[in-house]
Amino acid sequence: MPHQADTPAPAVELSGITKRFPGVIANSDVNITVRAGTVHALVGENGAGKSTLMKILYGMQPPDEGTIAVDGHPVSFGSPADAIRAGIGMVHQHFMLADNLTVLENVVLGSEPRKGLGLDFAAARAKIRQISDAYGLGVRPDRLVDDLGVGERQRVEILKVLYRGARTLILDEPTAVLVPQEVDELFGNLRDLKAEGLTILFISHKLDEVLSVADDITVMRRGTTVASVSPSGVTARKLAELMVGSELPVPELRESTVTDQAVLDVRGLTVVGADGRTVLDDVSFTIHAGEVLGIAGVEGNGQAELVEALMGIRVPTAGKITLADRDITRASTRHRREAGMGYVPEDRHRQGVLLEATLWENRVLGHQTRPPNARGPLLDRRGAKADTRRIVEEYDVRTPGIEVNAAALSGGNQQKLIVGREMSGDPVVLIASHPTRGVDVGAQAAIWEHIRRARADRLAVLLISADLDELIGMSDTLAVILRGRLVADHDPATVTPEQLGSAMTGAGRED
Amino acid sequence: MSVGGLAVGLEVAPADRGKRLSPWVYALVAVAALVVLSVVRLLSGATDLTSAGTVQAALTAAVPLAMAGLAGLWAERAGVVNIGLEGMMVLGTFGAGYAGYQWGPWAGVVFGLLLGVVGGLLHAVATVTFGVDHIISGVAINLLAPGAALFLSKLYFSDAPGGGQKQSPRISDAPKVTIPGLSSLLADIEAKRWFFVSDLAGVLRGLTTEVSLLTLLAVLVIVGTAWVLWRTPFGLRLRSCGESPAAAESLGVNVYKYKYLALVASGAFAGLGGAFLAVSSGQYRDGQTGGRGFIGLAAMIFGNWRPGGLATGAGLFGYTDAMALRGSSAVHALLLLLGIALVVVAVIQYRSGHQLLSGVAAALGVLFGYWYFSTDEVPPELVGAAPYVVTLLVLGLAAQRLRPPRHAGEPYRRGQGV
Ligand SMILES: Nc1ncnc2c1ncn2[C@@H]1O[C@H](COP(=O)(O)OP(=O)(O)OP(=O)(O)O)[C@@H](O)[C@H]1O
Ligand SMILES: [Mg+2]
Repeated sequence: MPHQADTPAPAVELSGITKRFPGVIANSDVNITVRAGTVHALVGENGAGKSTLMKILYGMQPPDEGTIAVDGHPVSFGSPADAIRAGIGMVHQHFMLADNLTVLENVVLGSEPRKGLGLDFAAARAKIRQISDAYGLGVRPDRLVDDLGVGERQRVEILKVLYRGARTLILDEPTAVLVPQEVDELFGNLRDLKAEGLTILFISHKLDEVLSVADDITVMRRGTTVASVSPSGVTARKLAELMVGSELPVPELRESTVTDQAVLDVRGLTVVGADGRTVLDDVSFTIHAGEVLGIAGVEGNGQAELVEALMGIRVPTAGKITLADRDITRASTRHRREAGMGYVPEDRHRQGVLLEATLWENRVLGHQTRPPNARGPLLDRRGAKADTRRIVEEYDVRTPGIEVNAAALSGGNQQKLIVGREMSGDPVVLIASHPTRGVDVGAQAAIWEHIRRARADRLAVLLISADLDELIGMSDTLAVILRGRLVADHDPATVTPEQLGSAMTGAGRED
Repeated sequence: MSVGGLAVGLEVAPADRGKRLSPWVYALVAVAALVVLSVVRLLSGATDLTSAGTVQAALTAAVPLAMAGLAGLWAERAGVVNIGLEGMMVLGTFGAGYAGYQWGPWAGVVFGLLLGVVGGLLHAVATVTFGVDHIISGVAINLLAPGAALFLSKLYFSDAPGGGQKQSPRISDAPKVTIPGLSSLLADIEAKRWFFVSDLAGVLRGLTTEVSLLTLLAVLVIVGTAWVLWRTPFGLRLRSCGESPAAAESLGVNVYKYKYLALVASGAFAGLGGAFLAVSSGQYRDGQTGGRGFIGLAAMIFGNWRPGGLATGAGLFGYTDAMALRGSSAVHALLLLLGIALVVVAVIQYRSGHQLLSGVAAALGVLFGYWYFSTDEVPPELVGAAPYVVTLLVLGLAAQRLRPPRHAGEPYRRGQGV
């Protein structure tokens, strides 16, 4: 560190930051001091302004008012390039990766090693391997990002920041997409980084994690900081109260509503990937009306392929899918949706919303042939708008209006909109991949309650989640997926997250 | 080498996406194609199929298409759809005509390139700075450029010696080079009409005799593009703007700057393509580009937005162009060739599991074969359409696994990345 005083200057000091968007004040007079060499957590409800604040610190958006100081020196960032030069790196809530480029290309972009005029691929590869090995990231430089799962993408993002030699890391909801083992690994990495004197700013909605890894916690609410606490002084419950003013919710299904009427029946579903690998291997299950089937598994074990095959996005190589006694194996996605399949995709930006379309247009997506969005062959704009207002109301989507683009919503609020859309139109089966990914504890409780109510109304749900508490609490039946096969059934009433975790990694199994 | 051996060689070619084929596979495919060509030549007696003259004509026709495709490649790799290529090529032909007849072919090339750059900059200002829809801006350029060129040609050429309202005076052609000795040796072999060997000699002779320096320049820029875009930091940044501008921006890449640079290059190559056209045909004429900008785009798509593929596509279209010029008996032989090619496509598609496509290709292939055997010539009205028919069939049936730049054609505003 260049600057050694008796008490080291704070790594980052944000004073009086204010940021306005049309119709919203995202940040108003925010003050945060981040001590050097610590893990500082930022928590708060959806739309509280956390991501906005971090984007300001990373030079992606200029603040309307306020100042930033890094290592005690006042700075002003015109672009991320300035922030990178000042030693700040950011892993975004929504991945910033180019799918058609390789991992190597994504990592070195913007700070490429050169040999003459060309890019020095050998040096880049060596450096990526070295960082990957040093922190156990397991990143292979020559793979196409398109072929990576969410967890791997996450690690590529972290590697990208480390590659730039950042001294201060901003991680915006890094754990939302990770399963517990991966979270543990990540936290191990963070502790290593901290030990080397790096500073970490960390946003999360998972309060237990925050308590276990953070040195300081700042709570935001409605665009401003409402409390600064130390993890030893609070409990998760207290933190939740500070954040959303209500108690910490627990996912649980009360009485069983499982009926004996099969809704979705899958037999021998097999999917062979483009490279000839069997990614889904002879999967069979039945979901009954009023039943929630939870599927646990480490990212990349076939969940995405299963969901895509069920929705008709991917053509299965073999197997049969029956929806309410109708064979839909060859039906188009639209027919499946019209037959009552709802779908919450795992990556909301890639599959869930059109960022550059308004909220009500997003409401129409996937339901464009049915009321209230359509009247005969024409779109019913008024009906769609009215129904969007209902969703915004019922699901507490924080937005200045339904005419704004989805891009203007915070990540959690986009998620609420998607869940609201998919629960509308009385689905008979809901395929939910990470339905509460990135939503705050209050909204999480609301989404669970919606699912519970629909289940009591005979909805069948396929639930895939990285949050094991959610899986255990919300499922009537639990299965584990490993390398494309359903390997074990567990009783959600008795299984513990630890048991589930080890089943997911295949620990204790022969193969 | 036997045909059976070839079939085995083709079988190892993996159809995986993302994985690059080895040069050996390309060489094998080329040899196989030549074998098919010589078989068709033997069957039909159309010596034009592999004659040096045809290959030379194909090369001349392919170069402007390749330049247009390259122009499209640069623009789309940076995320801008440039349908205004045609207009930029027109500007290039005019520029070449204007400077070419006064100061020689090289001045023509430079001037055509510069006028193309003007077109590219116009597209950049409209799409990047003002956020105009890419297609609208491109169409506007396509409407504007021929009008401007015609106006200027009336202004400058009507009184010039040998010029007219719609055409420039003659431009002298660029120098041509021949590999001495080799050419006559190959000519001897070609005249023997041996199976395969003579065909190979004909093709080689076409590639080594009287090759315009402009063609060599084109080869250089294609290879150069591959190197710049895929092997340098500059190229990576440029491509990142087409793949994910938000990610590029979040890493400090100035997306606007790279889009501008890409469009300057795009305009330059389109202008170059136009200039080649004017210089190699000896003068500027109104309507000279004749849709080559669009065929260039098709070549780019066929080539999966890569320089090598694009060059192959341009070569294919140039070849059919050349055959169309050779007259209706050559086009008649082309029917058989197309029939065989479609059957090959059918087999490949079948093996990669696309039954429907395979069926369509096979049916069309048989149809073309039947057409060939049941007639003696192609109606002259259809001869000129040959390149377009091939374009359609090739794009529709062969090019199924394409990876266009993810964000090509989308408007981009700084700071709106999410
Ligand atoms: N580009 C934008 N245009 C308009 N409004 C925006 C824009 N970006 C964010 N906002 C608004 O600013 C507020 C804060 O959003 P921000 O993304 O910072 O929330 P967050 O705390 O990160 O929430 P989450 O936990 O859901 O990610 C929200 O009300 C959001 O709608
Ligand atoms: Mg956020």
